[in-house]
Amino acid sequence: MGRAVAIIGTGQTKHGRRNDVSYPELVREAVVAALNDAGISLRDIEGVVSGTMPSMMEGVSDTHLYFAEALGSVGKPVLKAETCGSTGQSIAHCGFYWVASGAADIILVVGSEKMFEGDGQATMTTVADPWFTKPFSAGAPMVFTMQSMEWIYRFGISEEKARDAAALISVSNHDNALENPYAHIHMKVTLDEVKNAMIITYPVRLLDVCPSSDGACAIIYASEEKARKICKKPAWIKGLGFRGEEFFYGESNKSIWPSATEAAKEAYRQAGIRDPLKELDVAEVYNPFTYQEMIFYECFGFCPRGEAPDYVLKGTFLKDGQLPCDPSGGTLCTNPIGATGLIRLAEAALQVTGKAGERQIEGARLALSHAMGGIDQFNGITIVGSEL
Amino acid sequence: MRRVAITQVAQSPGVESRDNLMDFTYRVNKELLDRAGMKREEVDCVVIGSSDIFHSGFSCANSLDWDGAGAFMIEGTRAEDSMFAFIYGCMRVMSGFFDTLLVTAIIKGSENPDYDTLTGFFADPFYLRPVGMNETAAAAFQMRQYMERYGITEEQCARVVEKNLGNALYNPYAHVKKRVSVDDVLASEVVCDPLRALMCAPKSDGVASVLLASEKRAKKLCEKPVWLSGYGCSMDHFNPGDRDLLNGQLPAAASKAYKMAGIKNPRKEIDVAEICEPYAFQELLWCEKLRFCGEGKGGRLIDSGLTRMDGALPVNPSGGVLAMNPYVSRGLYRIIEATLQIRGDAGEHQVDKKVKKALAHGTHGFAGQCHSVAILEG
Repeated sequence: MGRAVAIIGTGQTKHGRRNDVSYPELVREAVVAALNDAGISLRDIEGVVSGTMPSMMEGVSDTHLYFAEALGSVGKPVLKAETCGSTGQSIAHCGFYWVASGAADIILVVGSEKMFEGDGQATMTTVADPWFTKPFSAGAPMVFTMQSMEWIYRFGISEEKARDAAALISVSNHDNALENPYAHIHMKVTLDEVKNAMIITYPVRLLDVCPSSDGACAIIYASEEKARKICKKPAWIKGLGFRGEEFFYGESNKSIWPSATEAAKEAYRQAGIRDPLKELDVAEVYNPFTYQEMIFYECFGFCPRGEAPDYVLKGTFLKDGQLPCDPSGGTLCTNPIGATGLIRLAEAALQVTGKAGERQIEGARLALSHAMGGIDQFNGITIVGSEL
Repeated sequence: MRRVAITQVAQSPGVESRDNLMDFTYRVNKELLDRAGMKREEVDCVVIGSSDIFHSGFSCANSLDWDGAGAFMIEGTRAEDSMFAFIYGCMRVMSGFFDTLLVTAIIKGSENPDYDTLTGFFADPFYLRPVGMNETAAAAFQMRQYMERYGITEEQCARVVEKNLGNALYNPYAHVKKRVSVDDVLASEVVCDPLRALMCAPKSDGVASVLLASEKRAKKLCEKPVWLSGYGCSMDHFNPGDRDLLNGQLPAAASKAYKMAGIKNPRKEIDVAEICEPYAFQELLWCEKLRFCGEGKGGRLIDSGLTRMDGALPVNPSGGVLAMNPYVSRGLYRIIEATLQIRGDAGEHQVDKKVKKALAHGTHGFAGQCHSVAILEG
């Protein structure tokens, strides 16, 4: 199965409202950070993978052309992969296969978004088809809220319990973000504040939702031979999976969410994981909405179907719990969409290499990173470990 | 590195289709899988090539394309350009993770605004957009420079149109079917000086699909697998004002591909070239850069008849992009046409010589900012 591939460097910008830089400058910031982290120069990079959410989010399409200088890709081969919100994982996979196939030894992968320069919700509304879905879609919250309700009723979960668990997730994520210097939202919230925040779409309230952010993330992949030369502690790619389901939202069962379940199964198969709750040390789950995070726990086999709220309330997924989830504060506190999936992978790589600073989980050796995209359609997973 | 073969190909005609985008995609992919005798679930992976902006008003192109491409609950991904999708698919097969892989490129030009409106969105908001830069404007700068520096004439550029549209008459899938003379081209209106209407490519529909396979599966899926033997891609600076428009990155991309395929003398060794020439003069310029002739000799190349269908090195026997321009898919169409020529399955536009090595080239961006070159062998 191809060659072994490792992450030898990661770089993130400070996320948030970045009026101080233009879009290419933002991208460059992440590229330079990753190169410095890996201790190599642009000359060592053999190819560049770029990706954003739909390019028109910022009013510039095919941004890999616009970013030629920022990415340092002039005179180099380029690939551009895009799968909506799961773009971050898709470009990560793209870089992985590029190195695993033997076509190159060192590849730079960059995801970016500058959401304050456009209207993210308006753009996302144009994903749905104009005849059947668009008339009752209002950006992202519509889809995720419907899914939350479907899940609550499908498994007979009491709405209060789901509400309490979601509030706890929101609080713990916000607390974690305080320790992450890159995170967009730095604020302390209480359970009551979450439960009484403004309603966006029932049952989702303002503090259950991620922000829009400007930000970019870059990671550098290397083949086994190069990684051992360049890097003392690389993060090895152990398994990866990506699945997508049907376009028409109403045709699928979003409470079971087959794409998330199967993508996780595929990644576990490659990584040789049988009991994820026991074997994984940390998970970076893509959680733009708190309720979604619980559905993901079930899909990834962290707990039986319909029992996620119980596990959450037990503290299983807190920072000192059995399987800490999103010690970085997750998507809930930082969401530059095209970069988000890659940030999850970068954070997972930082955890298994012991470079995560204040948000480090002690002794983390195996970490899961994940991103979701489309109208709840796509799920991509990458598992990294500290040993090959 | 493992080898990758193209086993089956399918393409849609370029004329406006009455199907919606999803059905349009489905038909071509169904045809492809029927030819290979495979069911959808048996494909290991799907790579889609489609672009958000050339997509009938839907952003997140992969959301809509997923069903039609047959990718439901199969490993898959999407790239922004069909040449990217093709090479990414090849890499996935080379990595050993997948044995069969479907690459499909999707665009329905008839549902899109004019290409110049859309390519205008490539421009950055600060410097290029206010002056109305788009692909046609960039190409006009390039053509004027080409004529001034090397003395290429309008007649020579018009001869490219005459040749390619003449070839397209024999290609059942081509979009534009009319015989034009050099005088017709020179009499057509100026759209962006010095470019005339007939020197610019149309706006076409087009879904194209290929089925890639690893060495162990290729023989079972078709009689004559066509192998990828070389690939190169290179990116240029963004701002057309920052570069010499006549010395871009195509030589770099081509030499990578030639080196990988072990080609020393492209003009002798390549039997057919399928080149991406949305503007007539670009075929001449790209031929120079691909080392089919010397620098500045593109005009003499077309005059000599070497690149005609019956010449020593036929270029665009399918009619090329001037006869059919589905923007995102056009790179994969070149791959497909090269494959058909190698197999001898091109029907009426089959060149009358033994084709062993063929070249396919794709480009997008202002004045050829990003070039990809693939070498295929029978």
